[in-house]
Amino acid sequence: MEMITVKGLKKNFGELEVLKGIDLSVQKGDVVAVLGPSGSGKSTFLRCLIDLEEAEGGSIYIEGSPLLEEGKYIPKKQRRELLYKMGMVFQHFNLFPHMSVRDNLILAPLLHKQGSKQELINKANEMLKTVSLAQKLNDMPKSLSGGQKQRIAIARALMQNPDILLFDEPTSALDPELTGEVLRVIKRLAQEKMTMVIVTHEINFAREAANKVLFMDEGYVLAFGTPEEVIDNNKSERIKNFFAKLDTK
Amino acid sequence: MPLNEWIPQMAQGCLLTLKLFAVTIVFSVPLGLLLTFLYTSKNRVVTKIIALYILLMRGTPLLLQIFFVYFGLPYLPVIGKYVTINSRFVAGAVAFIFNYAAYFAEIFRGGLLSVDKGQYEAAKVLGLSETQTRFKIVLPQMFRISLPAVSNEAIILIKDTALVTAIGLVDLLKVTKTIVNKTTNVSAFLVATLFYLVMSYILTLVFKFLEKKFDY
Repeated sequence: MEMITVKGLKKNFGELEVLKGIDLSVQKGDVVAVLGPSGSGKSTFLRCLIDLEEAEGGSIYIEGSPLLEEGKYIPKKQRRELLYKMGMVFQHFNLFPHMSVRDNLILAPLLHKQGSKQELINKANEMLKTVSLAQKLNDMPKSLSGGQKQRIAIARALMQNPDILLFDEPTSALDPELTGEVLRVIKRLAQEKMTMVIVTHEINFAREAANKVLFMDEGYVLAFGTPEEVIDNNKSERIKNFFAKLDTK
Repeated sequence: MPLNEWIPQMAQGCLLTLKLFAVTIVFSVPLGLLLTFLYTSKNRVVTKIIALYILLMRGTPLLLQIFFVYFGLPYLPVIGKYVTINSRFVAGAVAFIFNYAAYFAEIFRGGLLSVDKGQYEAAKVLGLSETQTRFKIVLPQMFRISLPAVSNEAIILIKDTALVTAIGLVDLLKVTKTIVNKTTNVSAFLVATLFYLVMSYILTLVFKFLEKKFDY
């Protein structure tokens, strides 16, 4: 089943063309790592998928339903419904600082009437176990480390029962010793066949956890294929240069 | 120093000070919040009108505004006779409320601007509506960020209330001045100072408590 289909996606910031016609097809259970140099449009692309940026042209389909069709968006109300199928994890976590971990987790599902408060609290407890933070239900975000915050953010996204998870550089704001705990959680989700699109700079992680790699440069897709095809055996000079500069082994 | 005579009189004046303070806070904070909403709305005409209002309120002396409300309103063409305020207290309170609402609006707007963009984005991807985002995510954070500035403004207000003596209201300062005139004993001013200090100190404690309570 096609979870995300993107055709000819275009996005400008004023005069600057950031996305110059992106195509992508994500199947159920795919873990797509989006790689590429800074400024290549990776994050903008991801943000377009979940409507944090409005695209100027092209089409986006989520599980076959259009979000954007040939440059025209569906009405706002329907968008919210459709986008709730996707969860998003941000670089800077974006937990709600005035709410406890529990309230961060149950807020959205409670408002979407996905269960009673008690049911959702039980579910929140389960989710915290899956991110190895079982004891943190009543903590405030302030008291958590960066890695813990990010794992809570993942748990929060999982609470909405998403079909697809999007990650925007989930470890870039973390100290190096804290990235492992977050990547382990994402890897476990990959093993459980969660469909994910992950913008990242962690090449090794992409190689291990992703089954597909999308390489972007200057608003174009330069390559899309298995990690071996894109990272290790690519013929493009531009891509080879990029990986050569990184110590990826 | 005949304190046993002065203190009851001064307490009487204090009561007016406190009444004016309470009425002003109770009405100007919600009005300020409303002004902030309007000021940050997408309607250009509305934002221009609010900007002009805030300029007028902050750009002219409060004393002048008190005079305007009490003495000036009846002279307004057409609507003058409908908006005349005969009660000195009500006139003073109205001037204070409209003036302080402008300051609170700017304080809240600052608080609003300090709420991280990522908070709106997280709310959006979690499927919250704009109203839910405003009331569950943005406003609680805005209030917390604004508290120190609101506290500052409240302490200024308790002292500003002395301006109403200009339209003949008898507040703490007016009582004190009368005592000094009658007795030629200036130490009454010292007692008044203590009154103001105690009120300010209590306010400080209240806001400290609020800041702690809403800390996150």
